[in-house]
Amino acid sequence: MRKFTLNKEAKKKEPTKEQINRYKDFSRLSHEYERLVKRPKKPLYKDPKLFLYLFLLGLILYLMYFESK
Amino acid sequence: MSDSELVILAKENRNYFGVLYERYFDLIFRFIFKRVGGDEESSGDLTQQTFLKAMSSIEKYEDRGFPFSSWLYRIAQNEVNLFFRSTKNEISIEIEDRQIHHLLEEANLGSYMSESDQEKLIHQLNTLPDDSKDLIELRFFQELSFKEIADIYSITEANAKMRIYRVLEKMNKNWNV
Repeated sequence: MRKFTLNKEAKKKEPTKEQINRYKDFSRLSHEYERLVKRPKKPLYKDPKLFLYLFLLGLILYLMYFESK
Repeated sequence: MSDSELVILAKENRNYFGVLYERYFDLIFRFIFKRVGGDEESSGDLTQQTFLKAMSSIEKYEDRGFPFSSWLYRIAQNEVNLFFRSTKNEISIEIEDRQIHHLLEEANLGSYMSESDQEKLIHQLNTLPDDSKDLIELRFFQELSFKEIADIYSITEANAKMRIYRVLEKMNKNWNV
């Protein structure tokens, strides 16, 4: 939540060059980007939709095999 | 190399985004710093977050004739608003005397104000809806031009002017209530 207040000191609030440079780091950004895009995929057993799909596929194949016997 | 050329290259190879990062980091940091009331740590985190979002969605960026910086401003604006919504602490944004005078003149509220009137004005600003607060902040406290505000919102300059004057008109009407 933000709240406006009156600055009676009449001093301009500007960041210094040192303050800015403390946070300027492209290698950190690249690292975070790599982590973001190369996030490991969900394992099969944790994906309920895919799990159900594989289960049904297996069941159909099993029934087909059972019928052909 | 121009921004548009760098964007094309960055879409293929993210290392080129580094040049854009170096070019605009200071600008975005200053913008966020003022918006979060001079909180250095939050400004650093939000600036980094802004560039991370920009870097990961650069493929979606389309050059529609607006400067590349306005796209970054827009992402930064969203990040700051998310931050305002998520934080429990009150963030104090200090307004200078001359900025108040500029606002007074534009809102046709006179050029001089007593201390109690100034407090009343600040109270009125604090009760504005968030989108109106954003516009007032960008114009009078960030001191951006109508053109720059228009670019951030992807609207015409006339439209930006109209939106800001509508807020000022509303403030003027509420002043004597």
